[in-house]
Amino acid sequence: MTVLPTSLPADLSGLSSAELLKLERAIARRHSGHFPWFMVIWAYLNIAVWLALWPLTILGYLPLWAAFPIAVANMTLVYLPTHDAQHHIIGRPGTRWHWFNEFLGHSTSWIMVTPFEVLRVTHLDHHRYANDPVLDPDIATSAPNAWQAILRSIRNKAGHDERNAAYGASLERHGRVDLMLLALAYDFVFLAILCALAWSGYGLHAFFLWWLPIKIGFIPIDFYLSWAPHHPADAMGRYRDTRAFRSRLGNLWSMGMQYHIIHHLHPYIPLNRNPAAYREMRPLLVARGCRIDGL
Amino acid sequence: MERALEFVLTIKPLIFALGFLTPVLAQALQAMQVREPFGLASLAFSALVCGAWGTLATIRKGRWI
Repeated sequence: MTVLPTSLPADLSGLSSAELLKLERAIARRHSGHFPWFMVIWAYLNIAVWLALWPLTILGYLPLWAAFPIAVANMTLVYLPTHDAQHHIIGRPGTRWHWFNEFLGHSTSWIMVTPFEVLRVTHLDHHRYANDPVLDPDIATSAPNAWQAILRSIRNKAGHDERNAAYGASLERHGRVDLMLLALAYDFVFLAILCALAWSGYGLHAFFLWWLPIKIGFIPIDFYLSWAPHHPADAMGRYRDTRAFRSRLGNLWSMGMQYHIIHHLHPYIPLNRNPAAYREMRPLLVARGCRIDGL
Repeated sequence: MERALEFVLTIKPLIFALGFLTPVLAQALQAMQVREPFGLASLAFSALVCGAWGTLATIRKGRWI
């Protein structure tokens, strides 16, 4: 049995790159490999709340104006457990829980109207090519400042679609025409459901519980998952393309993204373990010259 | 098949406008008790507004704003 170091040497300056990496991986291993109950409960509680909004509003138990902000929060919150599944964090390939990892990914991503495999292929390209002006599918969220980032996110959702084009290019590079067609099918089925609901007299429900919440709910996702941790998106490389940062809204309201650098370095650590891993790994990140802006 | 798909994608903003936004706006007007805006039935008014916006978005290759 391998005994992992529980604390770092006081002086890291004499260590080689390989020795630093070994220490980094030892910390990462301590925070991974457990079944992430927290993320699983998050995923299904969130989707259960969103599904419950429909009968509650249709039967008049909850006014639509009260359900709308909840639906927006549901859309913001749905991405992160799905994101963990994209990285096989719920269950590694070859383990007894891998089927559940895939099930969680598929069973939650449909409410975002994007196939799980599309999210996975494009997101792994983001990890592979973070900040690459051509190959990073998320480069379409980069902007010189926070307000410009929000504006760009809104423009993308209003049909300017730089990000969709980047996702399409990523799928094309991987030869995944099947996923492009699947994404189109999702889009058309969604349109058909919206139209059917609207002409059946439930247009306002479809608008305020699903269509508009997707648009609004993904602005914070673009901001905190894509823009903030990679800003100014001008550097590439393992210890350069992502930063730690102190969010004005705190870690909870920025969905744990203050510690996104840990996710890029060790994407198999569950989201809720990133802060603890960061605290242990911080001296190593400093030694590597990473940006740890105020955190 | 490919050309048919391209055509549907091109006019998708208009389909969205007439198929979804029109009844949504009509239902919103009814919910706000706005009856016969500009002397038109709420559905006809909504079809005009949303149809025009959808046509514009179609011409602008899917850009709504």
